[in-house]
Amino acid sequence: MHAVRTAWRITRLNIRAQMEYRVEFLLNIAIGAIWQVSVIVFATVLLARFSGMGGWDSSEVLLIPATRMLAHGLFVLFLGRMHGIGRFVQEGKIDIYLVRPLPVHRQVQLEYFPTNAIGDLTVAAGLMAGALGRSHLDWTAGRVTYLVVCLIGGMLLEAALFTAVACASLRFPAAGYWGRWLEELLGTFGSYPLNVLPKAVGGLLTFGLPLAFVAYFPAAVLTGHGHDTGVPYWLAAASPLLGVLAYLAARLLWRWSLDHYTGVNG
Amino acid sequence: MAVLHAWRAARVTPLGELHAPPRMTAALVRLVVQVVLVASLWNGLYAHAGPTAGLSRDQAVSYAVLAVLASRLRELDQYAGRDTVLQHMHFGTIVYWYLRPLPPARYHALRALGEQVYGAAWALAGYAVCLATGVVRPPESALVAGVFVVSLLLGQLVLYFVMLLLDQMCFWTLRNNAAMLILVFAQNLLSGVYAPLWFFPGWFRAMSAFLPFQATLSVPLSLYVGRIRPADAAGQLAIQAAWAVLLFLLTRFLWRRAARRVISQGG
Repeated sequence: MHAVRTAWRITRLNIRAQMEYRVEFLLNIAIGAIWQVSVIVFATVLLARFSGMGGWDSSEVLLIPATRMLAHGLFVLFLGRMHGIGRFVQEGKIDIYLVRPLPVHRQVQLEYFPTNAIGDLTVAAGLMAGALGRSHLDWTAGRVTYLVVCLIGGMLLEAALFTAVACASLRFPAAGYWGRWLEELLGTFGSYPLNVLPKAVGGLLTFGLPLAFVAYFPAAVLTGHGHDTGVPYWLAAASPLLGVLAYLAARLLWRWSLDHYTGVNG
Repeated sequence: MAVLHAWRAARVTPLGELHAPPRMTAALVRLVVQVVLVASLWNGLYAHAGPTAGLSRDQAVSYAVLAVLASRLRELDQYAGRDTVLQHMHFGTIVYWYLRPLPPARYHALRALGEQVYGAAWALAGYAVCLATGVVRPPESALVAGVFVVSLLLGQLVLYFVMLLLDQMCFWTLRNNAAMLILVFAQNLLSGVYAPLWFFPGWFRAMSAFLPFQATLSVPLSLYVGRIRPADAAGQLAIQAAWAVLLFLLTRFLWRRAARRVISQGG
C-alpha cells in the first residue's frame, strides 16, 4: 500500500512537471492520438480497397486494431518507459537508480508521466466502441470477459517484448533501435488478419516475434475464425496466458540483466 | 580547404555507424525483414483482386518496397552521437555551432548530406537485390528512370528542408520531440509510406496536393511505377522544385532569426 501511495505521489509530480511545458504537453496528447489514427487510416484504406481481407468481414477486421491499440495504450500508460532505457544508461541514470531505496524497474516506470498515453487510449477506446458497435456478434458476459483478459494479456505481451529489448539496452544502449522497429512492426503488421500473408511469414510473426498473440489470435477466437489461424485452437485461445508467462519471463531476464549491469564507466 | 572541411563534417555520422557493427547489423536485418513483410502483404492483398486504384499488383509491390528502401535514406541515428539540435539545446552546447569557422547552416546541411549519401548506398544495394530477385520491376524505359532520379533528388531536398524546419523550431520552443513525431507521422502518411496515396479517397489526395510531403516520396515512386506518365512529369517536377526553393528561402530566413536567439549563459 505504501508503494502504491509513493508511486501515485511521484506520478502526480510528474504530471505537474509535464504541464510545465504546456504546448509540449498538448502536443504529446495529440501525438498519441495521431499515431493511433495512422494505424486506423492504414487499416481502413486497406479495408476499403480490399474487402473481405483474409476471409474476415470489415467489422471483424476492425476488432484486431481496436484490441491491439487498447492493449498498446494500457502498456504505454503503465509499463511503457522501457523505451528509454538506452538513453537512461547513456545519461548515467541507472547508476543513480541502483543506490535509491526503490526497485530500479519501478523508478524507470516513474521517470516521467506518459502524456501521449492519454491520446493513445482516447483513440483506441473510440475505435473499440466503433468496432463493437459494428460487430454482429452477441456480446455475452463470457465474450466481454475474454476480451478484457485479452487486453491485459496483450499489454503484458507487449511489455514483455519491450522489457527484453530494454535488457539488451542495459548492455548495448544502441539496442533501443530494435525497440523503435518493434513498435513500428506491431503498429503495421499487428492490425489485420495475418492469414493474408504467406504461411512462412505468418509463422515468423507468430513464433519468431509473437505479434499474432497480441490481437490477431484473440480477435480470431472472438469472431469464430479461431480454427483458421494456422495454429491449434487452444494455443490461439490461450493468448492472454502467453502474455502473462512472457511478462514473468521478461521480468526474470530484467533482474538477471540488472545484476550484470556494469554502468557507463565500467 | 573548404572541400576538406565539408568532407570531414559530412562523414561524421556514417563513420559513427561504421564503428557500431551491432547497429549496422540491426539495420540490415530490419531492411531485409521489412522488405519481405511489405512485399508479402501487398502480394497477399492482391491475391484475389485485380488492379486497384489504378495500380496493378506489380506496381503496388514495387511502390511499397521502394518506399521501404527510400526510408533508409534518412534513418541514421544522430541521437546516439548527441548531435541533434534538440540535444544541443538541452545541454546548452548549441553555442559551439556558432563559434566554429563553419557556419551552422552549412554544418547542418553537410551532416545531412553525409547521412543521405550513406543511406543511399544502403538503398541502392537493397534495390539491386530486389531487382535481381524480381521483387521490384525495373523502370519501363531509360526516360522513366532518368525522370525518377531527378524527382527523387528533388524529393530528398524537400525532405531535408522539412526536417530542418523542425530542428529550427527548437530555437524558439527548446523542445521538438512531440512536433517531430507528428511530422514523422505526417511525412509517412502524406508521402505514401503507409500505403500509396492512390489508395486514399479523392478529398485526401486533394488535401495532400497542397502540402510538401507528397513531393518527397509519392511523386518519385509514382513516376517509377508508371502511375504518373512521363508526359505529366514536367508539372510534378516543377511543383517539387517550387517546394524546394520555397522551403530553402524560409529556412535561410529562420537560420538568421535563430542566430539572434543564441546567447551564451555565463558570459
